[in-house]
Amino acid sequence: MMKKLSLAALAAGLLAGSSLNAAEVDINAIVKQAEQAAYYAGEDGRSAARMMITDAQGRKQLRQFIILRKDQSDGGDQDMLVFFSRPADVRGTVFRVSKHKDRDDDRWLYLPGLDLVKRISAGDKRTSFVGSHFFYEDVSGRNTDQDNFTLLEETDSQYRLQAVPKQPDTVEFTRYEVSIDKQTMLPMLIRFFDAKDREYRKVEALKVETIEGYPTVTHSRIQDLQNGGETEMQFRFISYDLGLPDDIFSERSLRNPPGQWLDLKE
Amino acid sequence: MADSLIQFAIHRRKLVYWTLLLLTLVLVAQLPRIRIDTDPENMLPQDNAARQFHNQTKQTFSMHDTIVVGVVNPEGIYQSHSLQALFEVTEFAAGLDGVVQADLMSLANVDNIIQEGPGTLRFEWMMKSPPGDREAAERIRVQAERLPLLFNTLVSEDGQAAALYVPIVDKNQSYAIAQQLREFIRGLDNQDDWHITGLPVAEDRFGYEMFVQMGISAPLAGLTIFILLWVFFRNIPFITAPMIVAMATVLITMGLLIGMGFTVHIMSSMIAIFLMPIAVVDSVHILSEFADRYESGKDPKQVIRQVMGHLFTPMLFTSITSTIGFLSLMLTPIPPVQVFGAFVGFGIMLAFLLTVIFVPAYLAGLSDNTLNRLTQGLPDESQSRLTPALIALGRLAGSHAKLWVMGFVALFAVSLYGISLIQINDNPVRWFKADHELRIADRVLNQHFAGTYDAYLVLQTEGQAIQPAINAISTLAAEPALSDDLRLWLNQLSQQLSKGQDLSAALLDIEDKLFSASSTEEELLSTLLSQLEAIGSEAKRFLDPAVLSYMSQLQIYLQETGLVGKSNSLADIVKTVNRELHSGQDKDFVLPDSSNGVAQTLLQYQSSHRPQDLWHFVTPDYRQSLIWLQLTSGDNQDMTAVMDKVRTYLDLHPLPEGLTLNWAGKAYLNVIWQQQMVEGMLDSLMSAFVIVMLMMMLLFRSILFGVLAMLPLTLTITLIYGLIGWLGKDYDMPIAVLSALTLGLSVDFAIHFIERFRATLSQHKDWQTTLALMFEEPARAISRNAIVIAMGFTPLLFAPLVPYITVGVFLASIMAISALVTLVMLPAVMTLLRRWLFKSLNLNEEKP
Repeated sequence: MMKKLSLAALAAGLLAGSSLNAAEVDINAIVKQAEQAAYYAGEDGRSAARMMITDAQGRKQLRQFIILRKDQSDGGDQDMLVFFSRPADVRGTVFRVSKHKDRDDDRWLYLPGLDLVKRISAGDKRTSFVGSHFFYEDVSGRNTDQDNFTLLEETDSQYRLQAVPKQPDTVEFTRYEVSIDKQTMLPMLIRFFDAKDREYRKVEALKVETIEGYPTVTHSRIQDLQNGGETEMQFRFISYDLGLPDDIFSERSLRNPPGQWLDLKE
Repeated sequence: MADSLIQFAIHRRKLVYWTLLLLTLVLVAQLPRIRIDTDPENMLPQDNAARQFHNQTKQTFSMHDTIVVGVVNPEGIYQSHSLQALFEVTEFAAGLDGVVQADLMSLANVDNIIQEGPGTLRFEWMMKSPPGDREAAERIRVQAERLPLLFNTLVSEDGQAAALYVPIVDKNQSYAIAQQLREFIRGLDNQDDWHITGLPVAEDRFGYEMFVQMGISAPLAGLTIFILLWVFFRNIPFITAPMIVAMATVLITMGLLIGMGFTVHIMSSMIAIFLMPIAVVDSVHILSEFADRYESGKDPKQVIRQVMGHLFTPMLFTSITSTIGFLSLMLTPIPPVQVFGAFVGFGIMLAFLLTVIFVPAYLAGLSDNTLNRLTQGLPDESQSRLTPALIALGRLAGSHAKLWVMGFVALFAVSLYGISLIQINDNPVRWFKADHELRIADRVLNQHFAGTYDAYLVLQTEGQAIQPAINAISTLAAEPALSDDLRLWLNQLSQQLSKGQDLSAALLDIEDKLFSASSTEEELLSTLLSQLEAIGSEAKRFLDPAVLSYMSQLQIYLQETGLVGKSNSLADIVKTVNRELHSGQDKDFVLPDSSNGVAQTLLQYQSSHRPQDLWHFVTPDYRQSLIWLQLTSGDNQDMTAVMDKVRTYLDLHPLPEGLTLNWAGKAYLNVIWQQQMVEGMLDSLMSAFVIVMLMMMLLFRSILFGVLAMLPLTLTITLIYGLIGWLGKDYDMPIAVLSALTLGLSVDFAIHFIERFRATLSQHKDWQTTLALMFEEPARAISRNAIVIAMGFTPLLFAPLVPYITVGVFLASIMAISALVTLVMLPAVMTLLRRWLFKSLNLNEEKP
């Protein structure tokens, strides 16, 4: 809570500090706050996620996993562990991500069925997250430095920003619009547009709950507007500032998951 | 009845004209509503099981109709400028409206997995941007050739070609999309050899060529007939009558077909050209006799009544027999063939009605002047070349009866053997001429790649996955320790499952329920949860390495037959990803040893740019899967050979328990409709034969004459099909269709010949005189009709599509041969059988 306030103060300071008209909005600050609210709440966090992937024909697949996260610094590097529990045949699969602001993320995976630990290097982050409509980047957070933001509209409750990628050839969209809730600073709706300016992908926060003082998206949905199909993701058993030790974010946890931090019923 | 009809026609001429004009106009108004159907799938009825299964498979595995773009560079496709062009075309295609972007496949938008140093795996686009230099292009080659799903599908084995698969939402847009692609490629600064093909493109071209055929061949047939009639009668007002009959028949029939909502398919597009010559044949008889009998000063109405009294019955019978030949096509379970048969049959009867109503009315209305000019202008029959030729033929036919008959029997035997040699085969792509751009594209692409013809072996798990889960829930619901609330809830859950709710959704519900349950209940629910999970895992048959291994073995076997260019399956995906997850070496190109291993391998595959690709090979419940076969030949014969091989394999290596295997794919559907066609045609031919023979017996009031009338056409049809067997020409769609209908057409010659022969013989009572007289006017009339019909079909030879040409050649020759055989065979056979045939007549008994 303290952190949240200090951030708001910081943002206010930035605004005041700039020689701009006070009524003018500091877009950069909004973006940073939104990033903070969406991906860096607390020092660390844990949640149980479940995804229901529905294809264009209405056929469903389930993914269930627990995410452990620890921030190195706010808006900066981050460690993450993803432990899969469903479907049963992928149970025990673990992803480990070391997110970097200034270079490619480090990623590892453990596949118990093959008894295999592998380091993954990826050409880009816009690949599917385990077959869902979420991209890897949607889960880990797109680096805000990669886009140029402009304010499209400000209402009583929302900012609507437009983002244009600085390197258009690295992404499949030409622009996206994000609506940020003024109260929570959470992105509530992101709409992606293709080269012909057709909206082809939509990310929505369907439910926001305040957990331990942090407004948190607990239910979100991504829709593929072009080909059909969607993925809904729900988060439960969310807790922040657990004091996750650094050493669990290591290769050891892949084969030996840190059981004490994964027990949701405490 | 006939008399009063003609009486009416002659005296109510205006009414006849106006009615015909009005009827024609009303139905011509329907013509603009024409809908072309070029989908070969429609050769099978909508409700055909194989077709339904094929479409279900397309839906289940998210497959679309696809435009194939191929690019060939003989110097090698792995050059920066070639790949640059491929890249640009891919980007352009992906941006087009109506293209299923997610399923578009090209080197420029597929994923690559490679080893990046020990223990590190790299996922990236295969060709995120065009390679800058030769070296980078060569790197793409090495990487693409390592991926079994790409190699020989997206890039050719010889390194000279690449392909782009452009799936489209709606087949009707294929022309527009292909055209945009063509224009874009033309605008590229690229010297490579580009080809655009694929079924939707082929269908589209086909529709266009059909219009060309209808627009050119049919009017040309009309012109040919007009010229022939002019040669015969040299009087334009006179021959206008049959032309009006022909035009009205064609317009009314086509208007009716279109107005009734039928689509115009390759078969029905030929209705015009079939009806035109058939429609004038009766008129030719009337005009011939009228011209013979009319003399200056006679009352034309009187002459017409005489002529019609004479010709009505034989014309009725020939029309009915021809109609029967066409209607018999309705016994073939191929809808376009049925529609064709029904409407040509209708058209023939319409032409008969118009002929007996309109032509007398028209002739009765001609001025004396015109009629006088007619009699003066008529060419002298004795001076024509046909006359002496026929007389010579007559002498030959009558003089060596035994020799002729022996010759015919020998010819029949040789033809029967030829029929046994017939190769049943078809390939809709070959309906285009060999130099058509689509045939060229087809040839080039199949030369470089593993094949552009698709067939699918669909494997399905029998029974319901959900039943054991419902049972487990019901068992728990019977547990006495449960609260009533929970029991009720469980019952609702099992109901939802039986209504088709997903098992994984049920798992989530149970998990939610766990948190509100008492501790005893929690334990029971946890047990249920594990049970259901186990059931769920068990149900996913296509994660089982044993099942995947079976598929792999079948694929290896198929490859060894040499009939299949390449096959692709889930097993290939799993092996490829598994190889890269391990060492990247060939030794790891194997299946994991557990279902979990397979599932986790696939979880990685799904973490790509194209997770949806998986669902082309397996369903999300892992209970259906397919093996995609690429064939370099679309010949039904080759597909049938593959099907036989698979059957043999299944006999030796039974499918894993609880699985079924079925075929889908266009190559397979073509085989199915061909089989139905061949079987159906035999039914059509047999029934037409029997009915026509019965009619002949009725007409001649004699069993022997009935059989006799069938002999010439029996020999003719046997001869033609024997010839096809001997020549090795494939027995394909047009050839199959023609067997039954030619029967109805060629019997006409026998009807006229026997009728006239009997009449002449009873008049002259002398065998030799009768024979000689038969080869005067009657033989001329028969020959004239044969020429009209045969020539009427020749414009088809200029048609752009092969089936039309086949029909043209085939019908023209069958008519010519049939007339000739009739003129030789009937006198010869009758000479031998005259004692039985003409018992009642007291013939001068001298040896012929």
